[in-house]
Amino acid sequence: MWVEILFFDKPLPPPPPAPAQVLGLAGAWAEFHGCVRATEAGQNISALRYEIYESMALVRVSAHLEALARQHGLLAARFWHRHGVVPIGEAAVYLAVAAPHRGPALKALGELIDLLKADVPIWKVEAIPA
Amino acid sequence: MKILYFAHVAQAVGRREDNLDVSAPVTAEALWDRLLVLRPALAPYRASIYLARNRAYATGDDQFLNDDEVALLPPVSGG
Repeated sequence: MWVEILFFDKPLPPPPPAPAQVLGLAGAWAEFHGCVRATEAGQNISALRYEIYESMALVRVSAHLEALARQHGLLAARFWHRHGVVPIGEAAVYLAVAAPHRGPALKALGELIDLLKADVPIWKVEAIPA
Repeated sequence: MKILYFAHVAQAVGRREDNLDVSAPVTAEALWDRLLVLRPALAPYRASIYLARNRAYATGDDQFLNDDEVALLPPVSGG
């Protein structure tokens, strides 16, 4: 499986299309952008600040993607997460997966989001007031 | 042994890392005893912190060695 796991300390760049290795094989390239909302715990905010234990996050995400690939037949996956200050409206996370069909791709994408929130060492460390 | 602190745990202890010398392998319980002496500010967080040993979540059976990288991980909140 083609995998790309990157961490950014600046705005996420426009994601490129599905990798050339899966063109013609993937019937689905499912994407998710996770963006910062204007409220956090009922308070108006201007930004969230994130922190990542990068070397372990890389290990956890790799393990999750390998498991999802076995389970859903993924062909490719891209996992991007931002750290530092992320203003409202901007994406903190971008995920994408390729699979031969849309069902497994969408299911794997949903599961990847849940796994990210379950045990990948990334934290919202501060909600910066508006 | 390198000890890493993250998120609000790092804020509580006022630093990102420590070095701890252990002459023999220690259990998580014994490691916590040492950590709480070194950084008493950790006490309120102990129940919610997961220990990671060399970038993997530690299990109850793990022994921690002097050349390990140990991270104290508060509950994650990525995404």
